[in-house]
Amino acid sequence: MATRLPPIFTLLCVIFVSVLLGSAAKSKSSTGDSVLVILEPEKRAEYSIFLNGLEAKGYSVTLRAPKDEQPLLIEDGLPNFSHVAFFASDTKNFAKDITPQSLVQLLSLGTNLILTLGPKQNLLTSLAPEFSLLLPPPATPLVSFFPERADSPSVIPINAKSSSTPNDTFSVLTPGVGSVWFSGTPFALTPNPLLFPILRAPAESFAADLSDASGLVSDALVDASEKGGEGLWAGSSLAVVAGFQTLIGGGTGHGLDAGPGEDKQARVVWVGGPSLFSDEFANKKVVEKVKEERGLKVVENPSGNKQAALDIAGWAFQERGVLRIDSVSHRKVNQTGTPETYTTNDEIVYTVKISSYNAFSGKWVPYSDIKDLQLEFTMLDPHVRTALPAVRGQAGTYSTTFRAPDRHGVFRFVINHKRKGFTHLLYTTTVPVVPPRHDGYPRFLSAAWPYYAGAISTSVGFLVFCALYLAGEAKEDKRSKKE
Amino acid sequence: MSTASPLPQNFSQSTVANTASLLRILAFGLISAAAIASRLFAVINFESIIHEFDPWFNYRATRVLAAKGFYEFWNWFDPTAWYPLGRVVGGTVYPGLMATSGVIYNFLHYFNLPVDIRNICVLLAPGFSALTAWATYMFTKEMKDPSAGLLAAAFIGIVPGYISRSVAGSYDNEAIAIFLLMFTFYLWIAALKQGSALFGTLAAVFYFYMVAAWGGYAFITNMIPIHALVLLLMGRYSGRLYVAYCSWYAVGTLSSMQVPFVGFQPVRTSEHMGALGVFGLLQIVAFASLVRSHVSSKQFQNLLAISVVSLGVLGASAFVVLTYKGWIAPWTGRFYSLWDTGYAKKYIPIIASVSEHQPTAWPSFFMDLQLLIFLFPAGVIMCFRDLRDEHVFVIIYAVVASYFAGVMVRLMLTLTPVVCVSAAVAFSTLLDTYVDVKEPSVPEVSQNDSNPTPKKAASSGAVGSQAGTAAANAASSTISDIVNAAKSTSSRPKGIWGTDARLVILLNAIGMLVFFVFHCTWVTSNAYSSPSVVLASMNPDGSQHIIDDYREAYYWLRMNTPEDAIVMSWWDYGYQIAGMADRGTLVDNNTWNNTHIATVGKAMSSPEEVAYPILRKHDVDYVLVIFGGLLGYSGDDINKFLWMVRIAQGVWPDEIQEPNYFTPQGEYRVDDRASDAMRNSLMYKMSYYRFAELYGGGNAVDRVRNQHIPKTGPTLDILEEAFTTENWIVRIYKVRKEDSLGRDLKTANAFAQGKKRKRGKVGSRRRAIV
Repeated sequence: MATRLPPIFTLLCVIFVSVLLGSAAKSKSSTGDSVLVILEPEKRAEYSIFLNGLEAKGYSVTLRAPKDEQPLLIEDGLPNFSHVAFFASDTKNFAKDITPQSLVQLLSLGTNLILTLGPKQNLLTSLAPEFSLLLPPPATPLVSFFPERADSPSVIPINAKSSSTPNDTFSVLTPGVGSVWFSGTPFALTPNPLLFPILRAPAESFAADLSDASGLVSDALVDASEKGGEGLWAGSSLAVVAGFQTLIGGGTGHGLDAGPGEDKQARVVWVGGPSLFSDEFANKKVVEKVKEERGLKVVENPSGNKQAALDIAGWAFQERGVLRIDSVSHRKVNQTGTPETYTTNDEIVYTVKISSYNAFSGKWVPYSDIKDLQLEFTMLDPHVRTALPAVRGQAGTYSTTFRAPDRHGVFRFVINHKRKGFTHLLYTTTVPVVPPRHDGYPRFLSAAWPYYAGAISTSVGFLVFCALYLAGEAKEDKRSKKE
Repeated sequence: MSTASPLPQNFSQSTVANTASLLRILAFGLISAAAIASRLFAVINFESIIHEFDPWFNYRATRVLAAKGFYEFWNWFDPTAWYPLGRVVGGTVYPGLMATSGVIYNFLHYFNLPVDIRNICVLLAPGFSALTAWATYMFTKEMKDPSAGLLAAAFIGIVPGYISRSVAGSYDNEAIAIFLLMFTFYLWIAALKQGSALFGTLAAVFYFYMVAAWGGYAFITNMIPIHALVLLLMGRYSGRLYVAYCSWYAVGTLSSMQVPFVGFQPVRTSEHMGALGVFGLLQIVAFASLVRSHVSSKQFQNLLAISVVSLGVLGASAFVVLTYKGWIAPWTGRFYSLWDTGYAKKYIPIIASVSEHQPTAWPSFFMDLQLLIFLFPAGVIMCFRDLRDEHVFVIIYAVVASYFAGVMVRLMLTLTPVVCVSAAVAFSTLLDTYVDVKEPSVPEVSQNDSNPTPKKAASSGAVGSQAGTAAANAASSTISDIVNAAKSTSSRPKGIWGTDARLVILLNAIGMLVFFVFHCTWVTSNAYSSPSVVLASMNPDGSQHIIDDYREAYYWLRMNTPEDAIVMSWWDYGYQIAGMADRGTLVDNNTWNNTHIATVGKAMSSPEEVAYPILRKHDVDYVLVIFGGLLGYSGDDINKFLWMVRIAQGVWPDEIQEPNYFTPQGEYRVDDRASDAMRNSLMYKMSYYRFAELYGGGNAVDRVRNQHIPKTGPTLDILEEAFTTENWIVRIYKVRKEDSLGRDLKTANAFAQGKKRKRGKVGSRRRAIV
């Protein structure tokens, strides 16, 4: 029997292979194909590789200049596009409907965003804190003097291999994507669990002002370290690309909030500068010194920007790491059909089917690879919290059996699975747990023998008394007659 | 024998008896009609609607019973009440009321009379009031005679003290409980009089019905033992007492334990121990009297002394030990508050917060009983004159009920029947005396009868023809009677001569009765017939204006919220939300879980950021508050707010403190001098949210508290206004979801309104080494 590969691994391999082949393999998003790119139309040529790449994947790309009134982001309360890429990072003024508020509203409507920061302050500067991003002061781009190269210190090759993000089981960037050219603003990440770095800044880099630095030789880093706390804007704790998965509104589990909830999840990718997506960087070679037997050899490799840009867009546009709960069922052990209520101490079987989106086929396929899925049975507090393991032989099915607590009340089955890079899974089902019916208690209790004995002895005693009384009366009569 | 006016002579005895019987039936029919009719004001002035709070639950439960049958009702677990704890309704309810309605419903439907269950519920209380009148008639008949009984029936039929709990639509346990109370007492008296096990068992059966119908059954549980005990102490032990009490107690207790809500309480709680103790005592006394009949009196005396002492010690210590061990539940808070009126306020604010648990104000005695309250003592004294076993009962009942009625407003209800009975005895004695046309013709007739029957005593009552008030007259007659008996001299014959003297008294009495009827009608129509779900006010032209905000809000909830939405409100409105809006509630009028109520109190009296986790934890979708500031409706939540604070303080004394909600001067204010805790509390914010905007920059005045509300009103971050009724009486807020970006709602709101965020600490510019 062939070893079964985990689907996600297969998926990654397929993506990798297909991209390597440079084929026009369609790879669509799970939430829609329309992309709005906010960009001056004359600059489209600068991003043609990326945008053509998107179109080749099957997206329909619309361009909108920052000051154009049309097409609107949101019309009649509904988003006009499934995804919005914000490349106009140099622009200061925008059309009326492009505001930090409208961008957040887009997210709550389920539209995915790619936001690229510019060197100057614009609306994104005020939006970033809402995502728990800390931006350095304006016009302080990321600077690194390593490795030695001919380019400006603010144009940095970042080796994507060094960090697999967000975690070991899932990486936004294709493994082996190579070095990625970056130029722009880094940002620090606060410990917001929704936020994770996709591409970290190199350890040797820092954020600094280069604008009038030509003649000055001030030791900025020493300065900074003396001030204390200022060292924040340096090193690999900074990120240049970060992903953010919005929260499902965390409904109450009632009405429209029951089940998976009506809220749509959206993804945001913050990128330090739009140039990461540019043709210039995509075509720029990375010069690397490779150790060989006879000293160092200079190798020119193609940059990983083209692949990285599509990877980033692929994650942001919900092609990958997209999970959903197909169905949930619960029943009593040895019974079929979902009961309206459970009785205390019932054995309950809870089953959930989860599938993941396959961007190549555009279909949802069963997904069994979640290792740490948990089920909670809560009333105010979780009364039961148990692992929900995958069922062998049934793809995408997770099931567990547990005993309902000896406590009546309105309980909720809660699946709350939030992992970085993946869609959050939240599913609540409300079910009352009731005390046994009046005839549901055991009829005969061995502990009640004293009472049974009491009742029986009293009855017997009464019968004996009656018998004796009746018999005795007859005797007495006789006696009295004798007397 | 001379008479004041000529009497018709040529009637046979049976004709008189038949006519009297016919008249009694006619009178009784009219009394029933009056009793039912006077309770229909609520239906005529408003509509056929269930009133107030508790009736809404009873109505809802009855609908379940009618729709699903008794067994489903018994096992009914209501997941929407006390969310998320749920309520085991079958085991926490007195099912008598619902069962009664269910039986009537099924009975009518069996005969193909498709009567709506709501109409049965609405009209149940008036229907049972006619039965109460009948039971009171039977009871009073045992005390005096049928004519007193008719008077008592008429009194109880229209007296406001009973109408207050039994108008049409007031579908509460008390609606049938007073009938059961009086009828059980009647059966007890009948059993005692005849020493009948049949009547004793019947009393037990109706006692069981009472237990199934009302928590106030404990009144019977203690009244009958006290009566028996007093009779024992008076040396009136008899076989009749033994048979009546034992048959009542044994059958009644066993059957009362069949009610799920009562369960083993009759043998385990202190309230029921009296009945058990008297039962045991009766056995001992019965045994003692058996022994006495077999041994000599000297031996018996020794035996008695020893056994009484040892048994007393044994019994008391057993009681203490059992209580200490927890086998007998200690007294409940409600019970303590009966003896110490300040107890509840100190220790259990939840009990004190109920308006009907407040001590009674004296005007309400007059309001509820009018002339009867003056006749009542006279009637009790009449009972002393005769002091048969049943009169002892009335005296004890009068004393006990008077005390309880003074302690708790709602216990006025238990006082009312005995007041009616006593007053009827007094009044009918008066009428007997003055209607009787016989004149005291023979001066030689001796009056020093050692054991006068009531009729004789009454007819030979008043001295001369001084006509005071009826009560004073009756009382003085008794005193003079005693005095005369003591002197045993009668220089002058006593009695009433002439028609004029009689007419003065009789017209006076009838006049008082007429006033009584007017008073009752007025009180009933004005004070006790408001459904309190619908409010009425007067237009300038005198026409009635209906304020229907409650139903507007509940209907909105019903139509616009998800079916399983949870609404948080103060517990007063729990039953109404469940009944009218059909939505789940956190707390309701069945106040069994103090902590849960305190949780709601805490959420209401805390600032938003404290309240939000509480709301989320309890899955609250909507919050409902009652606000009367616009209309001047004083029963609103701000006025109840201090109770929420107190109850919350009882559970979280570190977080909620009552003094924080007052100004430093100790005033309870909602204007710009309100304390910070007050102004930040969720309740304040929900009440006054956008209130000042209504006045368009003018002076916003809270008409209940007569205070000016600051122009910049409170802001709400965790809630959004969902609905406010026409007169702003009910305001409903929706709980916001958590922010999708994981921010706290205050920040998210500030951002959505475009406010600049305070810049975090960001480093200064830095130059690079090049």
